[in-house]
Amino acid sequence: MSAAWKSLLLRHETILGGLLVITLIVLAFQSDRFFTADNLLNQGRLMAEVGLVALAMTFVIVTGGIDLSVGSILGLVAILLGVFWQKLGLPLPLAMVLGIVVGGVAGLVNGLIITRFGVPPLIATLATLALYRGLAEGISQARSVRGYPDWFFMLGQGEFLGVPVQLWIFGLCAIIAAVILGLSTFGRATYAIGSNAVAARFSGLSVDRSLLLIYTASGLIAGLAAVIFVSRVSTTRSDMGTGLELDVITAVVLGGTSIFGGRGTIIGTLLGLGLMQALKNGLALAGVKGDGTIVVIGAVLIGTILISNIFRKDADG
Amino acid sequence: MTPLVELKGISKSFVGVKVLDHVDFDVRPGEVHALLGENGAGKSTLIKIIAGVHAADEGEIRIGGEAMKFANPGQAVKAGIAIVYQELLLFPELSVAENIFLNHAPRTGWGGLDWAEMRRKARALLDDLDSHHLDVDAKVGSLSVANRQRIEIAKALSQNARVVIMDEPTASLAEADVQQLMTIIRRLRDRGVGIVYVSHKLPEIFALADRVTVLRDGHYVGTKDIKDVTERSLVAMMVGRSIDQLFPKEDAPIGAVLLELRGVSQGKTVRDVSFTLRAGEILGIAGLVGSGRTETALTIFGITPATAGTILIDGKPVQITSPQQARDLGIAYVPEDRGLQGLVRPQTIAENISLTVLKKLARGFIVDRGKEDSLARDFIKRLGIRARGPGQAARQLSGGNQQKVVLAKWLAAEPRILIMDEPTRGIDVGAKSEIHALMSKLAQNGLAILMISSELPEVLGMSDRVLVMNGGRIVAEIARKDATPETVGAAMTLVQEREAAA
Repeated sequence: MSAAWKSLLLRHETILGGLLVITLIVLAFQSDRFFTADNLLNQGRLMAEVGLVALAMTFVIVTGGIDLSVGSILGLVAILLGVFWQKLGLPLPLAMVLGIVVGGVAGLVNGLIITRFGVPPLIATLATLALYRGLAEGISQARSVRGYPDWFFMLGQGEFLGVPVQLWIFGLCAIIAAVILGLSTFGRATYAIGSNAVAARFSGLSVDRSLLLIYTASGLIAGLAAVIFVSRVSTTRSDMGTGLELDVITAVVLGGTSIFGGRGTIIGTLLGLGLMQALKNGLALAGVKGDGTIVVIGAVLIGTILISNIFRKDADG
Repeated sequence: MTPLVELKGISKSFVGVKVLDHVDFDVRPGEVHALLGENGAGKSTLIKIIAGVHAADEGEIRIGGEAMKFANPGQAVKAGIAIVYQELLLFPELSVAENIFLNHAPRTGWGGLDWAEMRRKARALLDDLDSHHLDVDAKVGSLSVANRQRIEIAKALSQNARVVIMDEPTASLAEADVQQLMTIIRRLRDRGVGIVYVSHKLPEIFALADRVTVLRDGHYVGTKDIKDVTERSLVAMMVGRSIDQLFPKEDAPIGAVLLELRGVSQGKTVRDVSFTLRAGEILGIAGLVGSGRTETALTIFGITPATAGTILIDGKPVQITSPQQARDLGIAYVPEDRGLQGLVRPQTIAENISLTVLKKLARGFIVDRGKEDSLARDFIKRLGIRARGPGQAARQLSGGNQQKVVLAKWLAAEPRILIMDEPTRGIDVGAKSEIHALMSKLAQNGLAILMISSELPEVLGMSDRVLVMNGGRIVAEIARKDATPETVGAAMTLVQEREAAA
């Protein structure tokens, strides 16, 4: 990456980092319950599922694609977890693994539709968004599954060394994702595909295989998020994860990933996530109603993109 | 006679690079004035200045004797200047009449579109161009390139254009269509329209033009009456030196056969192609666009795998179904479309060069940035890439340096067979001869080079042997000593006649 390009990326992330710090300070003054270890860790707990999915979504969007079906995959896996365990009587650990595998298969199907049939990702995953949600609702018959054993709640409600378990998982996944996207050959191929898929193919990169892997990973990680979700809320319902994709995409785009592909980092996504969650929680604590919070998040998204575009034009000059 | 358009001392720079340097040009009523020059000579920029797309930095423009400054293309259209671009700018989903009258459609008293009048006028314009067969209600998307071009011309006339600029109008036309286009152009000329004809095809210029202006590297070389020039003198004006100096193919020891095609076909575009390519050899492929040259290259490179026949490397049959396989077999392909197929333009030079060798550069699965950087530095030095350093974005480089980056990317993969598709398209004369010198050197180092080119002088100057393709087939193989514009050209036309008779 050129110095100019790098400084420009840094700039978006610097802007975002600065914005996050300011937000945290302002919110801390708005409510004395905000800037406490308890609250922040709890927010981390709430953020982990969206965060996990956003890691894979960063890859997807860097390739110039999009995955709208992640919320539906989450719902489908959540339902199947209950069905595998309660209806089919499988051991819970096996049901968990199977559920995540189904998530991966759902992602693979997305990838196959996109690469084999050349359907634009937006259309392909819009279709599977409906399809997977429909399957989830059909399978659940509007019944929820409860009564999971206590050890299962460790994942979504437990702590390890004072930090929520899912935050450990999220942190580990974030490091792996950052290393793969930022440093590995696969990450390099991902950026090349997002910038110019034809040139990537003409350079001997396996474009289709990379895309298949990325969409499969997106499904897998949505499956993992589903298991954590069920563990956190102690129950399984078919409408779980509805609208999750919008939160995820907001965080990724807020983090500076270009919706046209070729640009974006995991660090940016993490900052975007943090800013979004801080606003949600801080504003709620400060007594702002839910719809007010959405308005603020929307405004922040547009503001950040505008500011970073201004800087980018300067750098392009 | 007052010229319709007169440009004096026009200069223009883009991001600090001077693309036009004090250029003069004028068009008189009822003449065809050819604008000639190599790729990158500044022809496109000049016509875009006439058409109001770009504003000149220096110099003046007079329209019918009056000084003018166009702020946008709309003002140029009002002043009677129309441009027919190479990539026709029509709306495929709209009808012929709608396309012609887009933006200036006749209106009814109520302010609505007067469809009857629009269709009637469109009909009249097309009849005027001898295009009685064209239906004004047909969707433009369903028409051939030649017919779309007529619609562009009709559109220009509907705006009462007194000057029509045509940018390489025959680039994608078949021979018969070229003749008809010339008839139309002559007819316009006889009606007093001034025509600027941009082309680098000399025969067309001799058939059509009254005067010719030559540009070279953004400089004005001169304007001559067509009767005062010969093909040879025009070429000398264009390149500023004789052709022999331009193509320095040096003798290289010819080695063993590296690549052999036996009866290779790919759908209907490549038919029963057989040839051999030896180490140290440059094998040129001549032919028109669409003759199957690029398609043959894409088949060898695994983008469109062969549907019949055998490809042999070192005498052993191989299956090539993907570019990865081709690369691993030692085949490299420097593609025709640099911006689309060759480069990842937003990425840096280093990132572009390492694309073909990511695995080799990695420690485990982590890219070794140090190695990547030194690889890029090596190639920047070896190929003389003019750049600030390995970290500069590829899109900021000039065409010639971009081409060197694509070449570097493939040389990094250490190929034994190098396919170069239009190796010097769209790059300036200096970079061109550097690339030619590089090709010679690579051949001397034992690389087998397959070169596809539309520029006959390049094919003749660089190739040890020349293959001529037409209709997906190889129709002639000519040794270097026998290859002249006449023999290669004759091989092409001979085939066309045979195909026509068949």
